[in-house]
Amino acid sequence: MSDQAEFEIIIVEDDPNDAELITRILRKHNLANKLVLLKDGADALDFLFGQGNFADKYDDGPKVILLDLKLPKVNGIEVLRKIKSDERTKKIPVVILTSSREDCDLKDAYDLGVNSYVTKPIKFDEFAKVVADLGMYWLLLNKSLTK
Amino acid sequence: MGSTAMTEHGQTLTESGNLRERLEASEKTQRAMMNILDDFDEERRNFQLIQKATLNLLEDVDAERQNSNEAQRALLNMLEDIEAERFKAEQANALLESANKELEAFSYSVSHDLRAPLRAISGFSQAVMEDYAPRLDDEGRRYLGLIQENAHRMGRLIDDLLAFSRLGRQQMIKSTIDMETMTKSVFEELAAQEPGRKIKIKFTAHASPPVYGDSSMIRQVLVNLLSNAIKFTRPRENAQIEFGYLPKLGDGAYYIKDNGVGFDMRYLNKLFGVFQRLHSVAEFEGTGVGLALVNRIIARHGGRVWAEGIVDQGATFYFTLPGSR
Repeated sequence: MSDQAEFEIIIVEDDPNDAELITRILRKHNLANKLVLLKDGADALDFLFGQGNFADKYDDGPKVILLDLKLPKVNGIEVLRKIKSDERTKKIPVVILTSSREDCDLKDAYDLGVNSYVTKPIKFDEFAKVVADLGMYWLLLNKSLTK
Repeated sequence: MGSTAMTEHGQTLTESGNLRERLEASEKTQRAMMNILDDFDEERRNFQLIQKATLNLLEDVDAERQNSNEAQRALLNMLEDIEAERFKAEQANALLESANKELEAFSYSVSHDLRAPLRAISGFSQAVMEDYAPRLDDEGRRYLGLIQENAHRMGRLIDDLLAFSRLGRQQMIKSTIDMETMTKSVFEELAAQEPGRKIKIKFTAHASPPVYGDSSMIRQVLVNLLSNAIKFTRPRENAQIEFGYLPKLGDGAYYIKDNGVGFDMRYLNKLFGVFQRLHSVAEFEGTGVGLALVNRIIARHGGRVWAEGIVDQGATFYFTLPGSR
């Protein structure tokens, strides 16, 4: 709605190491030009709904949101619920990227209409491949309604 | 007058005659009544007797009832005792189960939380390798290699620990397993990863009975025991492995024997412990989880595992499993 830079990919990740590694991997594949990094669930919601700290930074919506589950303030499942229950945001693809393999997390996420659920591989080389694949698929291959 | 008298007399007579008659009648009635009363009295006596008999009977019944009540009470007490025992057992069980679950959850979350920093170590050391390798000298690059190698080792440890922790929670899906067929397929798979070595497996003549158990877990047992046999025969030019069944050993036991480096029986108690190793990583790689996993799987199936070894001559691992007899 403004002349703001358009964001293609939003990453919600509280672990600064994982956040930096994800950014680095995407950058190496030229997928990080329009990337925004948010460190907790509250920031994610403020950013998406153009409120609080991000009142003047409203954006039409990215091509994909990579969402961690274990987040401070507002957890990932809650963020997902808000995104999927609001007309303005419910069409944005959301990919859960988490260490959790718990069945209840999986079930909650799919119940709320998550678009994909990916667990972070333990080994860095596998992790790097997963992040690169996700970036290429959602930013280049997938056709989204939002942009 | 006479007539009157007569009449009067007659009347009187008549009257007196009537009176007598009535008196008699009344007496008769009275007697009859007395008789009736007498009869009634007898009846009453009979009745009283019957009543008494009934009362006696009732008393007997009461006594019986009391007896039965006592028996019932005893039974109820017994049931209560049993109930209390069962409650106690259930409580102990629930406590055990929750402690078990807590332990599983703990080790699971430890393994999970260990992943993140490890990923950072591998990730950033690789970043240095990619971006700054030309600016490092040989020693610097070697150190970086060591960091990555150890991060990988730590990763394997976490993997094994996760597998070990998952094992306790995993549901068992049981089926009938032919041990010889499974052993053969596992051996071929493992031996194929060591193309440069001469490894032979021999199946003893005794037909081994099928096992009733979780096939993926039993397969894990065979993978761990056979890969140990292959690993610890590495110094041998001709590695010999033997799989067999001894029907007369206890309730019947399977065994896997090798002619490898063996082990000192003094350290037998360490053999099946988690993270316990009898060899240095430089000699033989490993995390010290393999045999602990074997022990746990066999125990979950209600079996037993034990070992015999002689230094430099080889080791034999025996195990029992349900359905093996």
